[in-house]
Amino acid sequence: MLEIRELTKRFGTTAAVDGLSFTAEPGRVLGFLGPNGAGKTTTLRVLLGLTLPSSGAATVDGRRYRELKDPVRMVGAVLEGPQFHPGRTGRNHLRVLALAAGLPESRVDEVLRLVELDGAGAKRVKAYSLGMRQRLSLAGALLGDPGALVLDEPANGLDPQGIRWLRDFLRAEAGRGRTVLVSSHVLAEMAQTVDQVVVISRGRLVAEGTLEELTRGAEAPVWVRSPEAERLRGALASKEGVTAEAGSAGADWLAVRGASLELVGTTAAEEGVAVFELYRPRQSLEHVFLELTGGTEAAR
Amino acid sequence: MTRLVGAELLKLRTTRTFWGLALAALALVLLIVLLNVAIEDSFGAEHDVRSLLATTALTGLLTLVLGVVVGAGEYRHGTIAWTLLVTPNRLRAVSAQVLACAVGGFAIGIGVAAITALLALPWLAAKDAAMPGSGELVRVFAGSALYAGLAAALGAGLGALLRNQVAAVVIVLVQIFVVDPTLAALVDGSAQFTLTGLGVAMSGGADSSSDALPFGVAVLVWALYATLLGALAAISTARRDI
Repeated sequence: MLEIRELTKRFGTTAAVDGLSFTAEPGRVLGFLGPNGAGKTTTLRVLLGLTLPSSGAATVDGRRYRELKDPVRMVGAVLEGPQFHPGRTGRNHLRVLALAAGLPESRVDEVLRLVELDGAGAKRVKAYSLGMRQRLSLAGALLGDPGALVLDEPANGLDPQGIRWLRDFLRAEAGRGRTVLVSSHVLAEMAQTVDQVVVISRGRLVAEGTLEELTRGAEAPVWVRSPEAERLRGALASKEGVTAEAGSAGADWLAVRGASLELVGTTAAEEGVAVFELYRPRQSLEHVFLELTGGTEAAR
Repeated sequence: MTRLVGAELLKLRTTRTFWGLALAALALVLLIVLLNVAIEDSFGAEHDVRSLLATTALTGLLTLVLGVVVGAGEYRHGTIAWTLLVTPNRLRAVSAQVLACAVGGFAIGIGVAAITALLALPWLAAKDAAMPGSGELVRVFAGSALYAGLAAALGAGLGALLRNQVAAVVIVLVQIFVVDPTLAALVDGSAQFTLTGLGVAMSGGADSSSDALPFGVAVLVWALYATLLGALAAISTARRDI
């Protein structure tokens, strides 16, 4: 289990992370979302012992990363924009990590196969594309067959095929009982991957829960198209708690709030008004995300 | 710790910097030694031959740079994060790197000394040079190799402390070519404690009239410098964000 508890990290007078708390549980994928500069990377680097917190704590199974005796077997990490020695081959990069962690060299070939880089292991990293570097980074994270994966923007640089591969991979890893904590600034990228999300903005928690819970609070209006839109608007407006406005798409459109699809359809039938179209658009995840995070990139 | 040093040695071996600097050291030493042997008509005194062969100590200058490049290179390439994810204990991580550089530098030193001996000694013998005894020759070559190892260790500690590769290389070169001679000229008795003075003492290049420290003391003082820099690097790495 990964736990962030009342974590604050200041750089000078700026609080990059401000009293943040959340937990990532085994067997689930937790999406850690926020715009660029929201404090995601700082939080994850504190969790991985690379950045010192100003106050609070980030722990792996109750212990700080720096206190872990065998960290590679407990947490696998993919850092944002993973860096490698450009002149070293991908396979040698992993051999160094495996040797330092006391893992057999055979594990290097296993993880290279797992991330589908087995054909490129002998190439120097400077010849790798960004997507290949991400996969190499993921291979490094998997070396110790860890109980938890911490991934900072792992989809950066991946093509759509790669993103789909990553999504299936993360779901499968959570299915094996691993704790998966994955950050992203693109909510849609995570929508089909995560079980739960934590959304932060300017270092603070702004929402936490399942995607369904997040989108429920921001329901979109029902859209209805009718040749007698004005008559229907009057009928709907007489219902308690219902507002209907002329839609921006044209004079025959209405945007109805506070009503279900069934109520709008029944009202139209009662009034004898023809309806050509009737639907409620699924609230865009990005819209919800922008609303939660204030719609702006943090100024950092 | 053994496996960490092994991993750091693998890091060294799998980059071109290590092999490039090893070849540069070999080429530089062979050029100077063999050109001298070719040009000089006679080597009438044992001291002449010993001084010439002590040129192998130049390897130490290049392994010092190698250590700096390796120690600071972790930060330049961002690989320090990988290192610390596997080995979160900063003291162990820095110690492993310093020790690996010492082993790598010593290996380069041994290689350069062995090839130099293989090529220069028969040629000198053929020119009827006044050869020092075999014990003296071993001390010169082994001293140079040990100096090369300790120089790489000190460089690694300095590089990890300063983190900026270019700045670290410039500082170490300024130390050797500007600060050391200036200090030696201005402060009596300080020359033997400068990097240059200690290097000369370790590699057997000093003549009997010099005030160089005894070999063992020079090794200890240099090792102390390297340990101090390594410890400072470990402390600063533990206190800084990566």
